[in-house]
Amino acid sequence: MHKRVLVAVLTVFVLAGMSQVPASSASGEVVSMRRLTEQEYRNSIADIFGKDIAVQGVFEPGKRIGGLVAASAAILSVTPVGFDSYSKMADSIAVQVTSEKARGRLVSCKPASAAQPDDACSAQVFGHYGLMLFRRPLTGDELQSRVKLAANMTKASGDFYTGLRYGLASLLQSSNFLFRIEVAVPGSGKDYRLDAYSRASRLSYLMWDTTPDAELLKAAQSNELGSPAGLAGQVDRLMASPRLDTGMRAFFSDMLQLDTFDNVSKDALLYPKWSVQLAAAAREETLRTTIDLALHDNGDIRELMTTPKTYINRNLAAIYGVPFNFDEEWVPLDFAPGQGRSGIVTQISMLSMFSHPGRSSPTERGVALMDIFLCEPTPTPPNNVDFSIVNNTDGPLKTVRERLMAHATNAICASCHTHSDPIGLSLEGFDTIGRHRGTENGQAIDVSATIQGKSFVGAQGLGRFLHDNPKYPACVARKLYSYAKGVDSQDVEPKDFKVAYKAFSDSGYRMRSLLKGMAESEDFFHAVPPVAAAKSTKLASQ
Amino acid sequence: MKLDRRFLLRGTCQGAAAAMALPFLDCFLDTNGQALAATGERVPTRFNTFFYGLGLTKSLWVPKTAGLNYETTIQLKPLEAFKKKMNVFSGSRVMIDDNPNFQHWSGVGASATGISPSKTGLFDSKTIDQTVADVISRGSRFKSIAAACAGDPKQSYSSLGGANNLPAEASPLSLYTRLFGPGFQDPSRGDWKPDPQIMLQQSVLSVVAEDRKRVTQNFGASDKARLDQYFTSVREAEQQMAAELKRPDIEAKVTIPTAPDEMVVNSALPNMRLVLPLMARLGALAMATDQTRVFNLSISEPGSQMFVPGDPLGYHQSTHEEPLDPILAYQPRVARYNVYSMELFAAFLTELDSIPEGDGTLLDHSLVYGFTDVAFAKIHALDGIPVLLAGGASGRMKTGHHIVGDGNPVSRVGLTVQKAMGLSVDSWGGGSMETKSPYTELLA
Amino acid sequence: MILRKRLLAFSSAMAVMACLPHPAAAAPWVRSFVVGTYEYAFRYGGRAGYSRPGEIEPGSDCIHGSTIHFSNGEQIRRALKFQSWRSPEEIHTVSTLPDLEQAKTPDQARFMIWDRAMSYRGWRHGIETYINPFAAQDPGQPQVVSRIGDGFNLDGKIGVNDFVSPDGEKGVDNALYRAWGCDAPWRGNGNATLDLRSNDKMQEGLYTMVIRISGNQDPMNDKDATLEIGYSPDKIVKDARGQVATDFSYRIVKTAQYTKMKAKVANGVVESEQVAELHAPRIAWFYDHAGDANFHQGKIRLVIDAEGNAKGLIGGYRNWRDIYAQNTFAQDGGQQGVREHEDGVALYYALKRNADGMRDARTGQNMGISTAYRITAASAYVVDAKKPAEITILTLEEKRREAYLRIVANMIKATTTRIVQDVTPGTSEGAYPNMERAIVGMPSADYFLKTLDRPHFDDDVQEAQASK
Repeated sequence: MHKRVLVAVLTVFVLAGMSQVPASSASGEVVSMRRLTEQEYRNSIADIFGKDIAVQGVFEPGKRIGGLVAASAAILSVTPVGFDSYSKMADSIAVQVTSEKARGRLVSCKPASAAQPDDACSAQVFGHYGLMLFRRPLTGDELQSRVKLAANMTKASGDFYTGLRYGLASLLQSSNFLFRIEVAVPGSGKDYRLDAYSRASRLSYLMWDTTPDAELLKAAQSNELGSPAGLAGQVDRLMASPRLDTGMRAFFSDMLQLDTFDNVSKDALLYPKWSVQLAAAAREETLRTTIDLALHDNGDIRELMTTPKTYINRNLAAIYGVPFNFDEEWVPLDFAPGQGRSGIVTQISMLSMFSHPGRSSPTERGVALMDIFLCEPTPTPPNNVDFSIVNNTDGPLKTVRERLMAHATNAICASCHTHSDPIGLSLEGFDTIGRHRGTENGQAIDVSATIQGKSFVGAQGLGRFLHDNPKYPACVARKLYSYAKGVDSQDVEPKDFKVAYKAFSDSGYRMRSLLKGMAESEDFFHAVPPVAAAKSTKLASQ
Repeated sequence: MKLDRRFLLRGTCQGAAAAMALPFLDCFLDTNGQALAATGERVPTRFNTFFYGLGLTKSLWVPKTAGLNYETTIQLKPLEAFKKKMNVFSGSRVMIDDNPNFQHWSGVGASATGISPSKTGLFDSKTIDQTVADVISRGSRFKSIAAACAGDPKQSYSSLGGANNLPAEASPLSLYTRLFGPGFQDPSRGDWKPDPQIMLQQSVLSVVAEDRKRVTQNFGASDKARLDQYFTSVREAEQQMAAELKRPDIEAKVTIPTAPDEMVVNSALPNMRLVLPLMARLGALAMATDQTRVFNLSISEPGSQMFVPGDPLGYHQSTHEEPLDPILAYQPRVARYNVYSMELFAAFLTELDSIPEGDGTLLDHSLVYGFTDVAFAKIHALDGIPVLLAGGASGRMKTGHHIVGDGNPVSRVGLTVQKAMGLSVDSWGGGSMETKSPYTELLA
Repeated sequence: MILRKRLLAFSSAMAVMACLPHPAAAAPWVRSFVVGTYEYAFRYGGRAGYSRPGEIEPGSDCIHGSTIHFSNGEQIRRALKFQSWRSPEEIHTVSTLPDLEQAKTPDQARFMIWDRAMSYRGWRHGIETYINPFAAQDPGQPQVVSRIGDGFNLDGKIGVNDFVSPDGEKGVDNALYRAWGCDAPWRGNGNATLDLRSNDKMQEGLYTMVIRISGNQDPMNDKDATLEIGYSPDKIVKDARGQVATDFSYRIVKTAQYTKMKAKVANGVVESEQVAELHAPRIAWFYDHAGDANFHQGKIRLVIDAEGNAKGLIGGYRNWRDIYAQNTFAQDGGQQGVREHEDGVALYYALKRNADGMRDARTGQNMGISTAYRITAASAYVVDAKKPAEITILTLEEKRREAYLRIVANMIKATTTRIVQDVTPGTSEGAYPNMERAIVGMPSADYFLKTLDRPHFDDDVQEAQASK
């Protein structure tokens, strides 16, 4: 029975090998191995098995590199603790999929006998889910080992579906599922390109933050993704879908560092209104407004800095100091003119994430915003810094601004502080939880700032400054590129994303144009083979 | 096949030498974050719950300082000997959402399940001890045991959800009979049986491990190292399972006593003072000899009926009837009852701490979750409902802290507890109390 | 002075509006509040930190302190002696409870036996006392003896029993304070048990009361302002310090407990007109007895502070039988008695005696008593809901509300017709079946079952709530 399946699998292989870009290659170069993020894992499982499957477990955290956690997926591996969790989740998912309730819907064949192995049926199931989980067809060997495992487990337990469960679990905890393994093959000439299935994965996780759907997998198999027209067709399809929101939410969540909220706490005595619910709402506000502008309105991304439009819920309304009309859970709001807010940098998220529990921090805000929006990270302070002047609120220097200005007089401090403080100083009209304020410690707050030769006043001046700064859209393009490829944004050269950036600026800085331009550019699937590609560095057997 | 631990360490770290800059390489610790015992086997971590009705008195129990080195308040004084092994939580909130505040019940449900109950007397989900037992009780004789010092088998806060409460043993004799009567498994005899599930999971892991041989593509050096690390983790999981197939290394240096006499078991305080240490001792011995790894002890119903003989006004009625003293601003008689409850808690911890085990005591290898039904019994207020934890969870929980809740949901404590017990959970609780944030400062 | 106050209000983070009007020019304004505490406006006259043996905080308002009933066997005995149909043996056994400690739950047993006993103190056996208080002898409720009290001059006259307000206003009508001001659970220095309890439940989400004041001139001085009061379906939000959070938005719904009135603002003090019927939410600590406090000749006065929060009074004549019902049948009369140490019968007679309004032309009786309630409120945004909004109904709790309304109806019928009415099913009134459950294990259980038996009704009493 299973011989037929083997033949079928091999046929696919042969067919694939005949086209220009092999669908998946047994002998390619692995150019990148990206551990699935928690969201990617969850989205993939939901798309493959349905939203009813519960996923409960701990995911190992990523690390922010070059401003993006996505870059660390290509550097981190799986620790024993992490694997333990994956293993348990794999079993839990497999149990649910093969349960009596779900098997009618999720298992496409019935065994000849429910108490005996049925290799044809299990091969069908594993072949189907294996393709979706590994994001490429299983090799003959991979499939066989699962069929055999299922058969043995069926014999041990007397139940076909129990055997199926263990086989499925072995797929779910495989490195081929947990890591997006991007394989490149030599194209015409000496440059390497991602093979078709790797292209499908890269596109899908970028656009929809999930595993390639059936249509995309078919496009990979038939090598539609190898031709510009075919690629454009799929890109357009992916971008036309409302699921683009999910993908771009994941990107902006990463770029805007919204996971910082996991570690934010505010002094309950000074800021009793701060709560976990408020933090979650602030996070959602920022994502909503960004996606609205960038995708739904197809707007100029620079206007994120100057727009008065945002979305609020009941919680946020209390911080912004406006009534909430309860029309929906989320309603649009235009910032009141009197508060001096301007765009995303004056949303509660940006103001509160990069700020102390008890006080605002111009330095932290400045450093963060420079890093996020201008791709200019700030070095860490030297080891021998004396913070006592800055932290002394009872001294003669009443406002944070006055205390920070002490840095300007010291050459060692000034080099970094003049770089980033001014941004934060212009935002001092907002306290550490993002509320508007006019005075600090009884003194009026001065919100003027000068940066890189340009002077401006307050958040609206800052918004204008960032809007007009060419580094901002360049940084957005750089970060999207780095996110898509899983690389350190600091290592990317401008020439690498030149084509994409041109499409971006030509369109008036519209995200859709950037995305499309990037995905369809010559460079997007270009890969640098790993060191010593000529000689094979096969893995040593255990 | 027993692996030489030293060999493994050498192999692993060399294999990852190219990537020493990687974070999270904890190749020196096992999955519990704890050095393995000298024999290479593990001592299992146990879980206990302790329920006492009617809460405490805020002005007398909440320390003024937060964090480590908080002052011992009057009502925490009975627990002073265990202060370094405990964490206390003040200021936690119960959000009842669209459910009524079921007097003396909403707080119990919230503390035990993280969910504000929708019906009085019923839990809206499995209780925390069962969630933990699902994971840690594999291989022990009883999945969990519950005992009630006030003599009523209905005084059990261990439930599968709804009305499926697991009944409590209501007297020392019945508890003894259950644990050490017929069916008692002496761990030093050869009749211990491993969990059959483990062997099945082992087969899955070996298929996963074999995938390594099937890798045909070429990898760069750093990706190769990462894939190596992944397979090392698979290996570790295989070894952990192999360990679980062996009888746990519990050298119980204990003597099982003879059966206790029949005694009066009720809510009278003098009787409780005799019954509790006895039940606690039996529970501790049961855990020391791996009859169970989850032990639930309660001293009352919600709305405790504890009383002092000769005084017709018992605990519950005192909380409602006794006025707030105008000078003291609290209820003095109620405060005394609060302290009696803490003394009984201390007696329980004493029994756990008096059994030496490995490099510490049974208490060090346990977590004890002490919870109650209200924050201020007089008016059935839930805001500030206390939770007291004891034990180090075999090193996974840092102790000695006073954590101020600042209105955070009480479910955060339960989530922290489950993570310390090694459960793979990312969230706990329901409704407004659903939380993903444990108190990470307590997790080792 | 006003200018500086306004600057302070602007720069403080509690600004209610994004831009405030110029002091001289007229502009539309709105100030809204969510009520955080809601209590009887009783004045505490006890000496701070003082107590005498056997007396709770005696003071200028209540010479012998808060009244205490049913707190020990002796007090029970005295109450039982009024019933001539009880035997001395019964009186002795019930008040001393000789074998109490052998009950499985002695605490509960005492509570429920006394609950049952106190619920049947009529002139013959079998009359439930709290539904038929007129059928029992008046035990006497000591009244407030001092002259100073908070409230409004509702009838425009200065009567002999009226109070003088702390500000010197004469003729303040707060006869409820006179009648009930010494009642233990409502008397305290910010710590009266039922004040604490009802406020805790309200803040926890039992119900939300909101107030909105608006005008066209100036929030500090406006001759033509409007005041609205009513329920909100949105739960109160508490901050990390446990206070009611400011600046949150609440919808106001126009249910039967909504009222719109004219008001005048003078130097930041808002004084509403007096309206024939001021419908507003009433104090409650259980779902079943929340509802309308219908203030006849009702008024509201609020003082708004620099931070935009408010304190004030709401008052008027209330149907005194309603007040009696809401206090007594919150759980059952006997529980209120034994737990809170109040005697519902005494409170009934005190209300009747002090009733001073809502005269019934036919009977010549006063159906209402003058009241005042104290409220504190946090600044908030009160908005009209564009989509229809409703107060959340808790289906399971609705059954209890229906049972509560049934028993109240019976009590009103009884006290107006003076024809004895029975306990209606569905509540724990009369401690059934709570007493039966609690005395399990006592050797004298049978004795109590027989002696303290009362008229039964059908099986749907099985639904009766256990002791709350």
